[in-house]
This record gives sequence, structure tokens and C-alpha cells, in this order.
Amino acid sequence: MQTRWDIGEPEKPTINQDTEQLKSELLVLNMGPQHPATHGVLRIEIWTDSEIVAHAIPHVGYLHRCMEKHAENIDFRGIIPFVDRLDYLAAMNMEWTYAAALEKMLGTEVPRRAELLRILTCELQRIASHLMAFGTYALDLGAFTPFLYAFDYREKILRLFEEVSGARLLYNYIWIGGLWNDWTNEQLERVSAFCDDMEEEAKKYHELVSMNKIFIERTANVGVMNIDDCLTYGASGPVLRGAGMKWDLRKNEPYSLYSEFDFDIPVGEAEHGVVGDCWNRYMVRMKEVVQSIRIIRQVIEKLEPGPIMGKVPKVLKLPEGEIYVRHECPRGELAFHLVTKQDEKMPYRLKVKSPCFTHVSMLPHVAPGQMIADFVATVGSIDIVLGEVDR
Amino acid sequence: MHKQLSDLINRNVTGANAVAFLAADKKNDSSITVEASHIFKVVNFLKNNSENSWNSLHCISGVDYMDHMEVCYMLTNYDPNNNKGVLILKAKLTDRVNPNIDSIVNLFLAANFQEREVYDMFGIKFNNHPDLRRILCPDDWEGWPLRKDYVAQKYYQGIEVYPDNKMNMEDREYIVRQEMIKKAQAAKAQ
Repeated sequence: MQTRWDIGEPEKPTINQDTEQLKSELLVLNMGPQHPATHGVLRIEIWTDSEIVAHAIPHVGYLHRCMEKHAENIDFRGIIPFVDRLDYLAAMNMEWTYAAALEKMLGTEVPRRAELLRILTCELQRIASHLMAFGTYALDLGAFTPFLYAFDYREKILRLFEEVSGARLLYNYIWIGGLWNDWTNEQLERVSAFCDDMEEEAKKYHELVSMNKIFIERTANVGVMNIDDCLTYGASGPVLRGAGMKWDLRKNEPYSLYSEFDFDIPVGEAEHGVVGDCWNRYMVRMKEVVQSIRIIRQVIEKLEPGPIMGKVPKVLKLPEGEIYVRHECPRGELAFHLVTKQDEKMPYRLKVKSPCFTHVSMLPHVAPGQMIADFVATVGSIDIVLGEVDR
Repeated sequence: MHKQLSDLINRNVTGANAVAFLAADKKNDSSITVEASHIFKVVNFLKNNSENSWNSLHCISGVDYMDHMEVCYMLTNYDPNNNKGVLILKAKLTDRVNPNIDSIVNLFLAANFQEREVYDMFGIKFNNHPDLRRILCPDDWEGWPLRKDYVAQKYYQGIEVYPDNKMNMEDREYIVRQEMIKKAQAAKAQ
């Protein structure tokens, strides 16, 4: 198999044959580490031939905070705030995955109300994360207004989270065995009111952005990651679904109480462009927002009063062993590989499998032959959060 | 599942020496350990056979157990009709000075970044890897951070790595406290 990152003798792109005499050599251009389109500190070394990208080499690690090493020296509960800071736009989902890994090892039974409320918060978080993805993606492509619309509604979710957990971004809310705090009925009513508003708002977004001629021109048929690429690179989440694979862990490997819920898995259907391009990846996210609203409504129907914390020993001591737990997070499948030793209060090894890390590794594959502006659109469409890539 | 799969590997890959570890309960995950020298053949077989194939690599993780190191390959099968969960495939490396194992980049391109990360953190060299550089740490960093015997270098490009005046005092107090607890426990035991 030919490897695409071997840059010994860069192959010149074949586009623009008639300007052959103008070419001299490839120009190396640094996109980042501080660049608005990289959503954090990511440096991409782009080898360009005029406007066309010949090679793109991602350099990650600018936000490396040694989380995995730290985790080996902190007790199990103390790791939750660190886990928050992985994907800071979807901190609830990160916490839940970590808590689920420990609960599975401890054999803790989480009360039904706590599980339902976890689904509620994590689906709200998914909406907030996708709104952020929607807003910043439009911003990357030069449209400023959608960003303000998206932040307006994201703010409503953050306000709710602030009331419930005391924090706006990094919550430390989902604890091992349950939740830190309960939702009041008044807050739940506000959630259902929010769902009604959000459903209307999502339609507005389609008029404003999704079906906009300029937006479609910029994103359809751009940055195609087809299903074979996704499988060999191990892509997951909206990238995999955008390529047409109907795969969602909430349906295919139902954890928690997801098997009780009725929702669809949106996949790329190529209303515009081809399956696996930027537009389809974007559209999967927008459709997921609607599905999340459906789940939240069902949660509110099912909720009954009850305890929100299971029985967990005060000092956590796990049995010796290892476990690999994966959950469906807004950006893809997050997984923890947890290795423990008998009677130790800290993990022996905690490996984080981050979805964005694998998605960044796909960039060298799609970049060759693209225009620089299209490459910006591609980077935006995989919706990376560098906190999770670098850990 | 793991028992049948390890038998299948042993039947088809000579010398793979696959041993299945079966977890006693749901609190642990089962795994299969194979010979490190045969990892490429085993993964190739798991990917390309018709009986029980796995079409994607989820992640590669490394664990340092002091006396040996382990590289764990998490394989998965993205197929809505045939979800087999995650298979943990392990290879043991006993050499700490110059550990090396075959790269599987030619089978799964996902291994490119994942193997670079394992190399960065554990110093395990992957033979035939197209671009084996550090990925999260700077290129000129010394040592392998996630090994259990790792000691951070004193200076990095003329900058002190752990300056005394910058060290978090609470961390230091925590360390002191832990030492005091240990001493007290030792005294109690005597």
C-alpha cells in the first residue's frame, strides 16, 4: 500500500498543466499553531503549489498536558476534572465515559433516575457541541451571523448546566455511581421549552446555512473521506456516518438505557455533493441535533423521582484487571483503556482513545490536490478540539 | 468468543502462540496475547480472513509492567449487522533497552499516529513504520514519559523543567503528607 505521508520527493499536483512554466518549487506554508481555522493550537505544515495543496503534515502536541501521566498519580475521583479538560466542548460526555469505565469495574449499580439524567445532560451537551461546530464552521467559511445564532442557543444550555452543576464549561458533575446534583422540575420544564425552541431554530439554520447556495458550493464534493478511508483510519462519529455507514454506539452497542429510546441514526444521504464530503458531515451533525431533542423529550417523560447516587465505597479500591470502555461522544467514539492493580487508589494506566486524534491523521490523506480554502473547509468539517487530540 | 478466536489464530498462523485470557466476570475484559514477533501476521489474518474478520483498528495502547511491556491493539468491526465489540490483542515485549515490534501501518493506516504515540510515550520502536517521530512531546525531548521508571530531564533547551519556585506547593505538600503516612504505617507495622 502506498503511504501518503512519505514526503521524500513531493509529487507535483497535476492540476493547471498549462501554467507548468510558472512553477518553480513547492512553498511551505504553516497553518497555525495560532490560526482561527484550526480551533486551537494545531500546526499544519502545508506544501503548496500556488493555491493547491500538495501535502499537509499535521503537527500536534501544542496542548499536551500529560493527562495520562498525571492520571497515574491521582486517585480515581480526582481524575474527573482532568477528564473534563479533554474535550472541553463536550465535558459531560467525557465524564460519563470515565465514570462508566469505573462503574463497570466496581460493579456499581447506578440508579435509574441518575442514568436518565445522564442521558439528558449528555444529549444537551451534544446539542451544545454541535451548535459550536455549526457556528465555527460557518465562521471558517466566512459567514459571521450563524456563529451568533449558534452561541445564543448554546448559551441557553450552558445557563442550565451552570444552575445544575455550578460551572459553565468544565462541570465535574457526573460522579462515579451517579450525579452530583439533581435537576428540579422547574429546570426540566425549561429544558422542554428549550427543546421546542431549538427544533424551530434548527429549521432556521437550514434556511440560513445548509441550503445556502454559497455554502453548498464551498462544502459539497470537498474533502471526500469515503467509507474505505474511514475504516482504515478508524474514523468514527459524524465522519463515519457522513460517509454513509449507519453506525452509532448508542444503537449498535447500547450502553446505559439507550436501548429504551426511540431515535434514528442520521447518515450522509448526499442531497448535495457526494457521500463523505464536508457538506454531508455537516448535515449529519445538524440532523443529530434533532435526534437529541427527541431523546431528551423521551427522558423527561420517563423521569420519576428517586435517588441519584448509587452505593459507592468511600475509598475506591478496584480489583486488578483492565477494561476498555467506549462511548459515542459528539465528535466520535471516545474510549478509556483502564488498567488497575489490586488495592491501589490510582489507575496503573489510563489511556484515552480520542476520536479527533484519528481524524487529524486523515488530513494528509484528503489534502493533496485541494485548494487552500477547501482545505480550511475540510479541517473545519471534522470538528476538532485540540484538548482532546493532545490530551 | 476469545477461546475460539485464539484457536483460529493458532490454526492459521504458525508460531503465533495465541493465548486467550478469559475474564471471570463482567468487571474485566478478556484479551488474547500473541507472540510479538508474529503481530503483523496475526493482525493480517484477523483483517483478511473470511471466518471472523475485523475491519478497523480502534486504538493502540501501551502498558509498562516493569518486568515487561505490553502493546495492546484494540480491533473492532464497523458493521451495523455484525457488531463484535472490541478485541484486545496483546503483544508482550521483554526487552526494555531496545524494544521493537513490527508496524501494522500497511494493514491499518490508523496505526500511523497510534504507533507514533506509543513510540513517543514508551520508546517502543515499530519496524517498517514510514514516519516514526515523536508526536505529542517535542522532537528533542529525552526519555519515555509513560514508563514507570521515567525521570524527567533537568533542563530542556536551557529551561529548568521543574523549577523549585514554580512547583505547585499543594502538590509538594501532598507528597510530604504521603511520605509521612508511609512512615507512620511502617512504624505501626514494626
